[in-house]
Formats: sequence, structure tokens, C-alpha cells
Amino acid sequence: MNDILTVNGLNKSYGNFSLKDVTFSLPEGCITGFIGVNGAGKTTTLRTLLGLTSKMSGNIQFFGLDMDKNERQIKDRIGIVLDDGCFYDELSLAEMKSVISSAYTSWSEQDFKRYMDMFSLDPRQKINTLSKGMKMKYALALALSHNAELLIMDEPTSGLDPLIRSQLLKTLIEYMKNGGKGVFFSTHITSDLDKIADMLIMIDNGRIVFQEEKDTLLDTYRIVKGDSRSLSTDVRKLFLSISETDFGFTGITKQISEVRSYIPDVMVERPTIEDIMLGNIGGEK
Amino acid sequence: MMLLALLKKDFLIVKKYVLIMLLFIFLIPPFMRWRTPEFTGVLGFVLSVIFAVFMLLQYVSLKEYQSPKAATLLCATPFTRKAMVLSKYIFCMAIYVICCIAYEIETLVIPGLGTADITMFALMFLVTALFIGVYLPVQYKLGYEKTKFAFVVVIMASPIILPLLMRMDGLNLGFLSTLSPYLICGGIVLIGFMFLAISASLSVKIYTKADLA
Repeated sequence: MNDILTVNGLNKSYGNFSLKDVTFSLPEGCITGFIGVNGAGKTTTLRTLLGLTSKMSGNIQFFGLDMDKNERQIKDRIGIVLDDGCFYDELSLAEMKSVISSAYTSWSEQDFKRYMDMFSLDPRQKINTLSKGMKMKYALALALSHNAELLIMDEPTSGLDPLIRSQLLKTLIEYMKNGGKGVFFSTHITSDLDKIADMLIMIDNGRIVFQEEKDTLLDTYRIVKGDSRSLSTDVRKLFLSISETDFGFTGITKQISEVRSYIPDVMVERPTIEDIMLGNIGGEK
Repeated sequence: MMLLALLKKDFLIVKKYVLIMLLFIFLIPPFMRWRTPEFTGVLGFVLSVIFAVFMLLQYVSLKEYQSPKAATLLCATPFTRKAMVLSKYIFCMAIYVICCIAYEIETLVIPGLGTADITMFALMFLVTALFIGVYLPVQYKLGYEKTKFAFVVVIMASPIILPLLMRMDGLNLGFLSTLSPYLICGGIVLIGFMFLAISASLSVKIYTKADLA
């Protein structure tokens, strides 16, 4: 499988926040979720990838092409959805489209019409009259109407109701079926990723914590519940994080067989992506 | 093509004000003839350019300031930052050309307004080029809010300063009369274009390095 995006040693300083040696790659044919808590560096990473903020060092390649040397060509092949729409509010949907469409060499008016109909959007409507969900649908219609090979989205589901989120996720699956080479989207709503992601990349405090296939990740980690008295110092070291109450402990581990060898009668559960994310951010041990 | 689309975008985001400004462009010269007949012609044209170019540029900047992420989205598409900057210069020059055409038409249909003088157009082009040549790089560097203050001062002062400047005899430009008017106009326009080119490359440099919202 070819990588459609490779990022190597990306560094960027932003006030008192910095991206530190960010390195990851997106394999072709995958929906990749970029997870992390608020302020972890998701948006900064995406913006730096797209050249919206300058990088201090590092190498970014889309489709095997260097971003520094082929920016226009690369952007012509990418669909972008930024958080909260990012439009001129006083324009109508048709007017905004007429501006954006001029930027792309393979704009498809037919595709745009199809998405506008699918999302029940009226081209004559003013952008400032759209709800957050409608703005997101419109952004998606724009991003998917120029035969984009890769779709990059920054927090697309944030603040949307479950119905619109489910519509959006369905559209992404359809896009991949219709020849899309990849979707890369940042989110802190991990339940959406449970449904559609193939690959997960986690960032925390400007550093990549892991890049893993979702299924492998869910198979690797386990939630363990048991009596706090059985937690020796050696056992505690086997956990990524542990929370304790008067009734017992709940911890997350990647070494379930070792934990079982120390405490055979613990209760073991399969974690969600959110459990894994929170476990990696850390907790009391 | 890209520049045209971005130019269209600038006109679209201030479309509400474009019609009002057009009205101003047409009304100012006859109004000046009525109120200050001694300055009929030149002053009317100068004021119409000041109001139209500078006010519309100000409105565009305001709209961009109110939707900072819209420019970010455009920069995430294949639109280059260079094209984004150049479109602003073309926008100002397009309005200037509209002012010239409007004034030309008015001098033909309104008696007593004088004739449209090519030297006047060239001089006003230089003034406009000097203004936006300073204003735009400063705005790209400092942002809309800080630059606005300086702009307001210029606008407020223009009706007072312009008549005073025109009454001044200190500057002796008599030697210019020995040169061909076409040579003078060509020189003025060339200086204006050179100034715009330097200013635009400076603005592009500033905007290319900027971290977008």
C-alpha cells in the first residue's frame, strides 16, 4: 500500500506550544482519525501540513510530492474542510462556490449539484443564515466536487447533532467507495472513529503518541478492574493509567497476560478508542 | 483566471457598498462644481477617487477582518498567497479606472465641469499608487485594526488639506512645461507602477510568511 501523506520530523513553535518531531504516514485507501484532547496540536498539525502556518523544520510529502515544491499541484488534489466553515458570511452559497471553484482544475459542477441536492442546500441562500450543520455540509460539498484524492478535515463533527454526524460519516464512506484515496480527519469525538476509521493517529502535547490500525489498537489494549489491594508496585508498572476508588481500581494496559499472571481474578473488558486515548494521556498510577 | 476570481470575490464581499460608491463617484464632481466652483473639475475627481478607492478598500479589509478564516480556506485551496495579495492591488486599480471613466463621461454630459485632462488622471494614479503602496504592506504587517486609525485620519483630513495644497505656490514645477505632456504623463504612470510593484512584492513577502487564523 502506498502512502498518500508522509510527515517526517515536523517541528513548529507557536507561542508557548510546539509540535515536536511529528512523524506519521497515511496509507492509501484508509480513513484515518487524528485524535487528541483540545490543545494537543491537531489543528496546528493540519494547518502546518497545508502550509497555512510556517514550519520550523521537517518534510511533508503528499502523493510522493514535496509540499514545498509542489504546493499548488498538491492542493488541487486535496479537499479541505476547516472547522466552522470558514466562509464570507454575506455571500450566497452560489457566490462562494463561484470563487472556490475557480481555484481547481477539475471542478465538477455536476458533483456539486448532486451534493447540494443530497444535503438539501439552496444555492441562493446566504451563508450567514446557515446552521452549523448546514455549513459543514456545504463545506463538504465544496471539498468533494473537484475529484479530490484526499480529504482533510479539521474537527468536522464537533458541535453537530448525531443525525448530521451520521450523514457526514455516511458521505465519507461513500467518497471512499467512489475512488477517494484517503480521508484524514481530526476529532476529539472518538465515537465517530469507532464507526468508520481504519487507522488512528494520536497526538498529545505536540508529540505523536501512536499510529496504529484501529482493530489492532482495540485488540492490544484492555481495561482491567479489580481490588486495589492487589496492586503492587510491579503490577502498577504494567498499566498506562489507573484510577482508584474505595470499591477498587480501573486501569488500562497493553500487557494483559502479565497482569493476569499477577492477578488472575481481575475483570477484563475491551476498551473504546476514548478509553485508549485517555489512558495514553495518563492518569494516577 | 485565479486573479479574476479573487477580484470578483473582493467585489462580491462589498457588493452592498459598491453601488453607493458608484453613486458617490458620479455625484461628487457636480456637487463640487455647485459648492466650490473655483475647484471645479480637478478637486471633484480627486475626492471621488479618494472616497471610492479608499472607502471600498477599507470595506474589503473590514470584511476580511470579520471573516479571517475565509482567507485561510482560500489559502488551503490552490489559490496562492501571491494571487491573494495581487488581487487587492488590482481591486484598487480597477476602482480607480472606474472613477476615471465616470469622470470622463461626466465632463462630456455636464457643462462647466471642465475637460478630462490626461495629466490629472496620471497624477491621481500616482497619488493612488502611493497611498495603497504604503497602506497595503502596512495592513498585511500590522493588521486591519491598527492600520484603520491611520486611514481614518487621511480620509478626515483630505477635504481640508487638498484645497490648501492646491493654493500653495511654493512648489515650482514650471520646468515641466518644457517637456512633452506625454513624456510627463508616461513618467508619472511609470513611477506609479514601479511603486506598486515594489509595494506588492513587499506585501507578498509579508503575507507569505504570515501564520493564518
